[in-house]
Amino acid sequence: MPEIKINGKKIKFEEGKTILDVCRKNNIKIPTLCYHPDLKAEGKCRQCIVEVNGKIMTSCNTQAKEGMNIITENEKIKKYRKINAALLMSRVKTKDILETEDIEELMEHDGLFENKLRNLPIDNKNPAIERNINLCINCGKCIRKCHDVQSVDAIYPAFKGIETIAATPFLCPLDQTVCTYCGQCSLVCPTGAIREKSSIRDVEKALKDEGKHVIIQTAPSMRASLGEEFGLKPGSLITGKMVTALKKLGFNRVFDTDFGADMTTYEEAHELMERIEKNKNLPMTTSCCPAWIVFMEKNYPELLNHISTCKSPQQMFGAIAKTYYAKLHNIDPKNIVVVSAMPCTAKKFECERREMRSSGFKDVDYVLTTRELGRMLKQNNINLPSLNDSEFDKPLGISSGSGAIFGTTGGVTQAVLRVIEWKMKSMDVEWEELKKVEGIRQIKLKLGDKELLLGIIYGLGNARKVMEDLKKGKCRYDFIEVMACPGGCIGGGGQPKSTDMDIVKKRSLALYRQDEKLEMRKAHENPVLKEVYDNFLGEPLSKKAHKYLHTRYFNRKK
Amino acid sequence: MQIEKKPNFKGIENALKISPEAVIDKIKLSKLTGRGGACFPTGKKWEIASANQGEKFFIINADESEPGNFKDQYILKNNPDLIIEGLLIGCHTVNAKKGFIYIRDEYKDLIKNLQDSVNKYIKKYPQFDIEIILGAGAYVCGEETAIIESIEGFPGIPRMKPPYPGEKGFQGKPTVINNAETIAMIPLIMNNEFNPELRLFSLSGNVKKPGVYEFPLGIKLKEIMEKAEPEGKIKSIFMGASGGCLKYDPEIKVTQEAFREKNVCLGSRGIIVINENQSLIRMLKYITEFFIHESCGKCTPCREGNARILELIEKSIEKGLTKEEHERLNDLANYIKECSFCGLGMSSTTALLNILKEFKEEIKCLK
Repeated sequence: MPEIKINGKKIKFEEGKTILDVCRKNNIKIPTLCYHPDLKAEGKCRQCIVEVNGKIMTSCNTQAKEGMNIITENEKIKKYRKINAALLMSRVKTKDILETEDIEELMEHDGLFENKLRNLPIDNKNPAIERNINLCINCGKCIRKCHDVQSVDAIYPAFKGIETIAATPFLCPLDQTVCTYCGQCSLVCPTGAIREKSSIRDVEKALKDEGKHVIIQTAPSMRASLGEEFGLKPGSLITGKMVTALKKLGFNRVFDTDFGADMTTYEEAHELMERIEKNKNLPMTTSCCPAWIVFMEKNYPELLNHISTCKSPQQMFGAIAKTYYAKLHNIDPKNIVVVSAMPCTAKKFECERREMRSSGFKDVDYVLTTRELGRMLKQNNINLPSLNDSEFDKPLGISSGSGAIFGTTGGVTQAVLRVIEWKMKSMDVEWEELKKVEGIRQIKLKLGDKELLLGIIYGLGNARKVMEDLKKGKCRYDFIEVMACPGGCIGGGGQPKSTDMDIVKKRSLALYRQDEKLEMRKAHENPVLKEVYDNFLGEPLSKKAHKYLHTRYFNRKK
Repeated sequence: MQIEKKPNFKGIENALKISPEAVIDKIKLSKLTGRGGACFPTGKKWEIASANQGEKFFIINADESEPGNFKDQYILKNNPDLIIEGLLIGCHTVNAKKGFIYIRDEYKDLIKNLQDSVNKYIKKYPQFDIEIILGAGAYVCGEETAIIESIEGFPGIPRMKPPYPGEKGFQGKPTVINNAETIAMIPLIMNNEFNPELRLFSLSGNVKKPGVYEFPLGIKLKEIMEKAEPEGKIKSIFMGASGGCLKYDPEIKVTQEAFREKNVCLGSRGIIVINENQSLIRMLKYITEFFIHESCGKCTPCREGNARILELIEKSIEKGLTKEEHERLNDLANYIKECSFCGLGMSSTTALLNILKEFKEEIKCLK
């Protein structure tokens, strides 16, 4: 193993690693800003400088080489880092910064230079994401997410020199761009220049309104990530504590989107079987990810007929809550407020879509991201880790293990296959292969005498590659699962800002743990689901099921 | 001047007669180095690209944007054949699929002349593919990786090196980038008419005879000044905007090494002569404004730092600096020099640092 000297100490390292990698592995602290473990190192902020053989270099993008003599901190480095941090912070009003964990070190040096602020318009016309680019400190992480990872290109460096900011083309509002609202930009933004459009106030108002019956549904992936907002280890499963916390906030009922996921599974499995039987509109793609839907509507309107017409779990839940549930408990649906707790910013856009009103009302009223819910709990002095466990309420809190794994890449596919296996009897697939976390996976499925190919994809950049193939007639898949965010919803744009792929994998394992410990692991075994079909919807894919559980898509290409 | 010799297809004919390896050997033997300022041995650059397999590209950097530099303009105007013939030899030798000439927006009136020359050569050698690319006027597009971004259609923002363009350049393929003056030397080498000592100099400022001159390296500075006929007593010379400010020393030998000893960069040899009537701090103000305007905005020191330097320079002109402010100016200048991402930022405070050291009295301080 090659060796370098760091602060006088000889250290062995793995070939190909950067100086920053080596230092972090050896617990040597170096401040960073533009660095992110999942993104290509750009070396643009210069905060991570070190001295290499007497020369100042950035550690995030310099590979460690045999014989290097590295100093990570001396008077000069400290002075330069201080100037660098102060210059960055002098461009923003620090009191407007949302969450400061990522930039606490930088903020220590604020005030060395007089503020030099921008005064650009705030973009808050869309329901999902708010941009106050006056808070941009040019770390460029949002651009690398949007361009390198998602291939969406809604934001890019605008202007040049001292005017440079991460912005949309011609400073257009996001709703006029190719943005899919996936929110990956907001996940990496260190200052909250890009943040979710908050619904906290609306939800608080509804909770205070005595005349309203306020219910909340919690997304599958949330129970594996919300704990991190309170300092718990990534992958901590806090389902019961979360339910207690939500009851403390004052929700009349705490339900589970996992129930909605069971419904989506059941409908989608039947839709897939029908399409395979009729050989119609194959490959069929999943439809539960709202950023993926917008991506298709804005980029590939000619391929919209490939998308399953099933609504997402969130929207199926909303439609059932304001119809079946309302009737069951004799509550006027106009007084029901459905709130969703989601790992996602695009869900805020989804619930505002005009076709999502099959109950006669807005099926889902408000969406809170994981970060917002964390903030709301803290504001109400609810310390999640110290709470006892509670159970979800009945009936819409009852769900199978299939619902839980919806939150991770490959989960929807597994859930759907569990129903198909039950229906078709003869099916063969490598279940363990389905549990991996990889950008594009190809998995063979034997169904009766048919050999099918499944594609499981996360990240819109990966999805674009497959859609380009599909456009050219070169796509060999019969079924494609797409999640816009890396790792699926567990890596969603509304998740805690600490998110990186290591953490995503831990959250994924947590969801599988939840699935494994349940006795009821298949959607069709859910007794409430059975009741809803028997007493309200009839059969899967029936006319009534279509009215409440299916949707349509629009060409949004400009 | 050797730059005025017409190649008349002789250089390319000589090159086509011998193997690419032999062409590279000949260039290596000639000791030709990059004329853009970095002085990298040209033969070695070609050799690295030749060793790579697959699709390759060749780019001529004629984005001559350094203030006080106009030697490439002189060649483009008076002898474009030398550049085109050199480029064909280059494409042939490294087996490049296509050659680009990247020319700055301000030189667009020279394009017709250049295109005529390209057409003349392509008619005779249709196996080559040459395209002239007009930049949009950004100084940073003279940086080799920013040129590539610009030709690819992206904003001119430098890339991280390594990988160097010789490994991954245009469209991720091995790419040779040579300065216009460098490539113009190639036909001369092929025709055994090359004098490796001679360099082009652009002279301007307080002189009666500004223009492009040819001098051997190692000549004394006063000999150059005599040719240009200075107006008044010379105080200093600026090597463009980025090379720094040299306190006038008539006896100093004009070489990379001698200049480097004074923390000044000979670079692409654009000399702006400044006489005693001029204020250096005002020159600095102009230079800093230039670098603020030309910064691409990628890295913090260049993007944010120079704007703060300008504030301090303006304060020095108006009122004078406090002791702390003077110290801050010094710190900022060193920080930008040492911490910037690319050469543009790194060299943007060279002149300021020279003046802080050699002309302390020019920066007004409060008592």
